[in-house]
Amino acid sequence: MPVIETKELTFRYGEGTPFCKTAIDHVSISVEQGEFLGLIGHTGSGKSTLIQQFNGLLKPTSGKVLLKGKDIWAEPRKIRDIRFQVGMVFQYPEHQLFEETVLKDVCFGPKNMGLSEDEAQQRARRAARFVGLPDELLEKSPFELSGGEKRRAAIAGVIAMDPDVLILDEPTAGLDPRGREMLLSQIGAYHRERHNTVILVSHSMEDIARVADRVLVMNGGKAVMLDRTEKVFARGRELESLGLRVPEVTKVLLTLREHGCPVHASLTVDQAVEQLLPLLKKEGAVRG
Amino acid sequence: MVRDITLGQYFPGNSLIHRLDPRMKILITFAFIVFIFVAANFQGLAVMLLLMASVLLLSGVPLSQYLKSLKAVLFIVAFTFVLNLFYGGGTTVWSWRFMRITDGGISNAVFVAVRIFSLILFSSVLTFTTSPTQLTDALERLMKPLKVLHVQVHEIAMMMTIALRFVPTLLEETDKIMNAQKARGADLESGGFMQRVKSLIPILIPLFVSSFRRAYDLAMAMECRCYHGGEGRTKMKQLHMSGLDAAAAVVSGLFCVGVLFCAFHFPAALR
Repeated sequence: MPVIETKELTFRYGEGTPFCKTAIDHVSISVEQGEFLGLIGHTGSGKSTLIQQFNGLLKPTSGKVLLKGKDIWAEPRKIRDIRFQVGMVFQYPEHQLFEETVLKDVCFGPKNMGLSEDEAQQRARRAARFVGLPDELLEKSPFELSGGEKRRAAIAGVIAMDPDVLILDEPTAGLDPRGREMLLSQIGAYHRERHNTVILVSHSMEDIARVADRVLVMNGGKAVMLDRTEKVFARGRELESLGLRVPEVTKVLLTLREHGCPVHASLTVDQAVEQLLPLLKKEGAVRG
Repeated sequence: MVRDITLGQYFPGNSLIHRLDPRMKILITFAFIVFIFVAANFQGLAVMLLLMASVLLLSGVPLSQYLKSLKAVLFIVAFTFVLNLFYGGGTTVWSWRFMRITDGGISNAVFVAVRIFSLILFSSVLTFTTSPTQLTDALERLMKPLKVLHVQVHEIAMMMTIALRFVPTLLEETDKIMNAQKARGADLESGGFMQRVKSLIPILIPLFVSSFRRAYDLAMAMECRCYHGGEGRTKMKQLHMSGLDAAAAVVSGLFCVGVLFCAFHFPAALR
């Protein structure tokens, strides 16, 4: 069952001025309930604009965005309710922190939903646990935290609203390898535990390959591919022509394949080892 | 959206007006503004309006842009227009209880409204056709004589340049923060006055924090490149006066003489 659908969605910035630019061009896609969707595309391909359509921060120039089958702009006054259902974590979300304590900041969303103080705090603590923020940090000022902790606090602020769809725009940008790894596995864990839909925008093909069920590729404001992750990454050459890459290990396998090796595109190193080891053994290169 | 606010209003182009030396443009604009007030009657104002029409057309900036800039002062103009209606002599046109509108009042109101509109239009021509960097460059050069009085001309110009440079950046930042807070259900549109002021806190605090962060970063970057103020500093883009500037000065001078002529030959309009 699709949770978000777009129908011939088109969006132009600055309509009626000399700076008019089509950012999204007749995009019709659907995002399934409970899936983990990766969204890739080079800079300026319309990724960020597209996700801002999903929670009604931008209004389509033409076409429709449906959330669980209902047009989100059917009642413009109730657009706030849409934003609680489609949670959005922007790039560098730590820049949005403002409250005196981390706990209060994470409570901002839930309180805007009209929840009671107790309920909001309960949700905030649960969200903090999801992103691995220790309890003792909750009473600190958000400006005292380290960069990685701030990022977690900001993400918790969106998760605390318990949205049906969670959208993350490059959540790992600027984090060190360990921070990336942790954050990514926490997002994965969150997705598995709550069974809700997650949309991840990323420039890191490795990240996408690791966590996404399906991948949507944007180019020039158009949705050019939407398929299962391994199928999208098997089209390595096409992706490269769009200014994107495939994960390094996938590239190795695709090249082997071009040279006549009987392998298919793997997404992770483990999968690649599984394929290659038997082959190598057969050739006698590795002694089993 | 926030992005629609025109502050850095530069409209790129290559018209005659665009090609004038920014120093000359500032001087001429200044002279025009003075002469709008020298023009004491409708005849003088007509000369200025004629000049204005030709400058607006020459600038190659769409007229709709100029109209937009007028919209910003519409309230002030309407306010002074109404006030002026009730001040003035002459024959009574309309009266109701203590209120009285005279033909003198009407002509006063029109006169003042046209003055304010011309003021805005002339300064719009300057800001539409001159990039902010050119503008501060020219101001720095024009203010150079003040160095004698130990005014830190270069530093002031540098601060202006930096401030102008960061206006679009901060607007973009504001937009981003607003979106982020809206995504968390911040309600910026409804509620009473106090409610709205309170709803600005989640936007202002992050904006403040990021402004300081940017200021630190910029100061660091400037120090890394050994910036030490104006002493012995050369310019990459030198300003040069050309024949075009001389011509512009002469033409503007002629119009100003025309205004002076009208001022002496016709009676003053304000009564």
